[in-house]
Amino acid sequence: MIDDYRREDSSKRPPPATAPRPLVTLTRMQLSEEELARYQRQIGPGVLTRDGQLRLKQATVLVTRVGGMGGPAAQMLTMAGVGRVILAHGGELISPDLNRQVLGREAGLGRPRVEQFAETLRSLNRFVEVEAIGHEPDDRQALELARRCTLIVACPPTFEERLRLNRAAFGSGIPLVDAAQWGMTGTLIVCRPGHSACLRCAYPEDPPFEELFPVVGAISSATGSLAALEAIKLISGAGQPLLGKMLVFDGFHGRVDILQLQRNPECSVCGPAANSD
Amino acid sequence: MNVRLVFTGRSYDRAQAMPEVLDLPPGCSLREALAQIDSALGDDAKLPGTALVCVGGKHLGTVASPAEHQLSEGDELVLVAPVAGG
Repeated sequence: MIDDYRREDSSKRPPPATAPRPLVTLTRMQLSEEELARYQRQIGPGVLTRDGQLRLKQATVLVTRVGGMGGPAAQMLTMAGVGRVILAHGGELISPDLNRQVLGREAGLGRPRVEQFAETLRSLNRFVEVEAIGHEPDDRQALELARRCTLIVACPPTFEERLRLNRAAFGSGIPLVDAAQWGMTGTLIVCRPGHSACLRCAYPEDPPFEELFPVVGAISSATGSLAALEAIKLISGAGQPLLGKMLVFDGFHGRVDILQLQRNPECSVCGPAANSD
Repeated sequence: MNVRLVFTGRSYDRAQAMPEVLDLPPGCSLREALAQIDSALGDDAKLPGTALVCVGGKHLGTVASPAEHQLSEGDELVLVAPVAGG
């Protein structure tokens, strides 16, 4: 049965009239037999088409940072077969990181995070290129990186960085999946230029920064994995992304909300008079 | 009229003393409801002005700058304090 599904070619079916343009244009690149074997459980009905899997292979995703949520997000993107995963994260691994940073190991304490995290990912999937950048990108670097990417998964601890990545994504015309956490709560916001509100629409003023926020690793991992799922859907064309929505998983109260974000017509990033903030 | 009140996002623990249902006068505006909530919260539990305001799943601005909106009996008002942990 799986072989039949693998032969499915979604490009032969006309997309719905309102469907956004695919993020990845298929080239002559193919999936090898080894790759098809690796991904056979995610190619079929209710998951990805073969073309969708090929789009993942042709995609480049920036994940910054790769801590509690970015680590699981990068792990799931790597295991799913995204062609190139770029990690950006500065600093050294410290003991309190290890309640949630799944790419870290005890043996790596005191060493720079990003290279050891990249090594962990490389050991998971030889078909994926993993690139490591040992610092958080500034405005210029974020824009340069965005121009090389299909999509950004934003997992930094500050709104300054989140809003920088939002500007870079909208400045480059690519989607942004923003994942955030506090305590036992995780939030996701999925944005795509021309199709949804952006992060600045939701936060017209910069929210306060809390350096030592409380967090339980289980919510980090769940939120990071959901961010990866949204990225996979956007790139592959499978399913219905949470475009323009905010998902709030409040694990403390056992409650899930999905909120429809409103575009701000005067938004400095995605409005008609956008000046990139 | 009764409006269900939900605090979520960051610092959800600070609002545990708030009732789950607000008793508001008929025709109460969103802005008036937010003012009532603000006065009921202790000084150490104030919501940031950047907290998102949603009614019936629809985003209606922030606590500092809510949209003009009239609440109705049975509405659910969700306040999401911004979450940024990475």
